[in-house]
Amino acid sequence: MNVELIDLTRRFGRTHAVAGVSLQAGPGVFGLLGPNGAGKTSLLRMMATVLPPTSGRLRLLERDPGSLGPRRVIRRRLGYLPQNLGYYPGFTVTEFVEYFALLKDMPPGRVPRAVAAAIEQVGLADRAKAKLRTLSGGMLRRAGIAQAIVNDPELLLLDEPTAGLDPEQRVAFRAVLRGLGEWATVVVSTHLVEDVGAACTDVALMDAGKLVFHGTPAELIARGEGSRAAGDAPLERGYSAVLAAARSAAGTRSATETRA
Amino acid sequence: MTEEGMSWEAVSSGDGGNWTRPDGEVMSPPDVDLCQVWTGVAAEVWRRRPGPAERVAARLLRSPGLARALVTTPSLLLGWVIATVVVLAAGAAATLGTGTPYVALFAPAVAGAGIAYAYGPGIDPAWELSQSMAVSDRMVLLVRALAVFGLNAAVGLAASAATGVTGSAAALTFGWLVPMTAVCALALAAATVSRSAYVGVAAAMSGWTIMVLAGKAAAGRLTAAITDSSLLLPYLAFAACCGAVAWYATRIPRGAS
Repeated sequence: MNVELIDLTRRFGRTHAVAGVSLQAGPGVFGLLGPNGAGKTSLLRMMATVLPPTSGRLRLLERDPGSLGPRRVIRRRLGYLPQNLGYYPGFTVTEFVEYFALLKDMPPGRVPRAVAAAIEQVGLADRAKAKLRTLSGGMLRRAGIAQAIVNDPELLLLDEPTAGLDPEQRVAFRAVLRGLGEWATVVVSTHLVEDVGAACTDVALMDAGKLVFHGTPAELIARGEGSRAAGDAPLERGYSAVLAAARSAAGTRSATETRA
Repeated sequence: MTEEGMSWEAVSSGDGGNWTRPDGEVMSPPDVDLCQVWTGVAAEVWRRRPGPAERVAARLLRSPGLARALVTTPSLLLGWVIATVVVLAAGAAATLGTGTPYVALFAPAVAGAGIAYAYGPGIDPAWELSQSMAVSDRMVLLVRALAVFGLNAAVGLAASAATGVTGSAAALTFGWLVPMTAVCALALAAATVSRSAYVGVAAAMSGWTIMVLAGKAAAGRLTAAITDSSLLLPYLAFAACCGAVAWYATRIPRGAS
C-alpha cells in the first residue's frame, strides 16, 4: 500500500481538523471529497509530510515519514500541488518546474528532459519560456501540476487541481490523472464531484474531520438512489445523501451525549 | 504515421536517418518515437544554463537544488544588494562628514533585515511547496542565512575601509562581526519562531536600536554598543541563545507515526 493511515488526527488548538482517519490506498486515482473545512487539506498536507500528525500512524510508500532518512526517500518520490500554489513571478515555466525537480533531488542529467516532458503533459509547451507573471490562473495551475509530476511520483497529492481550469483543460487533465493512476497513487482533493466521477477509481468523503464514506464512485451514486438528497447529477445526490446521513448521525450522538 | 495509399521511401543519406515522402517532405523512420525526439529537442531549447555563481555553489554544496535555492534568495537579489550598498555607502559618507562610525551602526540592522528576508512564508512564494521537498528546508535556510551574512559582512567591511577607519583586528571584529552576529541571530530566531519575515525585521531593528540607545544612555556615547568591549561576551551568548531558538523552531517535526 502506498498510503496507510491509522486513526490519524491533527489538532490546531482546540479544533480537530482531522479526527481519527483510517485509510489505505494503492495505485489508482483516489478522490477526496467534502465541504469546506472538512479537513481535506490538512489530511493532504500530512500526507505531503508538510504537517506532522498530532496522533495516529502514517505510512507512505511503505515508510515512516517521521524519520529523517525515510522522509527524504518519500519526498523524492512524492508530487504535491498545494491549494495555494505560490510562484516566483520572474521565473519562466521551465525555470519553475526545473527548480522543484532539483529540490526533489532528481539527478541533474535527467532534469531537462523530465521538465520538458512534464510541461508538454500539461499542455504548456507553447508557454515554456513565458514568465509566470504573464500566465492566467489556469495556466499557473497547470505549471503547478507540471512541477508535481516532473519526478514521475509514486504518490501524487493534488489539492484542488482543477480550480481555474476551463472545461477543455479539465477533460485533458482527467486523462492525465487516469494515466498516472495506472501505476501511481494519485490523491485528488476536490469540490468538483464530476472530476471524481470521471477520473477516480476510489472516493472518500470527509466531513468535520472524519471519513464518512469510502468506496467506489458507483457505490457513492448508489447511496443517493431513492433518496431526496439535493443534486443535479447522480454522484452529487450520493454526496448529499452521505453528508446528510453523517450529520444526522452526529447530531443524534451529540444530543444523546448532552442528555447523558 | 502511415497513411492509406501513401508510399513511403527511405532515402539514403549520409547519416542514414532521413526519410522522405514522394512530395519531398522529410519524415522520420516509422520506428522513431517523435514525441521522445520532440521532448529531447524541447529539453535542449528550454533548459536554463546556470550562471557562474550557481555552478560554483552547486560544486561547493554538492547539491544543484541547494545551489538553485541559494541563488533565488530574496535578500541576495540584485535590487536588495544595491539597496544594501546604498545604505552603507550613505553611512560611509556620513562617517566621513561627522566622524561618527555610522557604517558600524547601520550594518547590523541591514544584515538582520537581510537574514529575516532570506527564507520563510510570505517571503518565499513557494514556501509550502518547498517544505515537501527532498532538499531540507532547514538546509536551505542555513545556506541562505550564511550567504546573506557573508555578503553583508563583506559590503560592511568595504564601506568601513572606504571611510579610512583603522584599528586593531580585534577592535574591527568586535565593532563588526560580533554585534552583527547577535542582531542577525535575533532576526533569524524571531522570523523562524513567528514564521514572519516582518517580525524578524522588526525584532532586529528594534533590538539594535534599543541596544544603541541604551549604550548612549549608559556611557553617553552613541557608539558604546560597538566599542564597549565588556559587551563582547553578552553579544556572543545572546547570539548562541538565538541560534538555539532558531534551530529548535526549524526542527524537523517528527510527528506521530
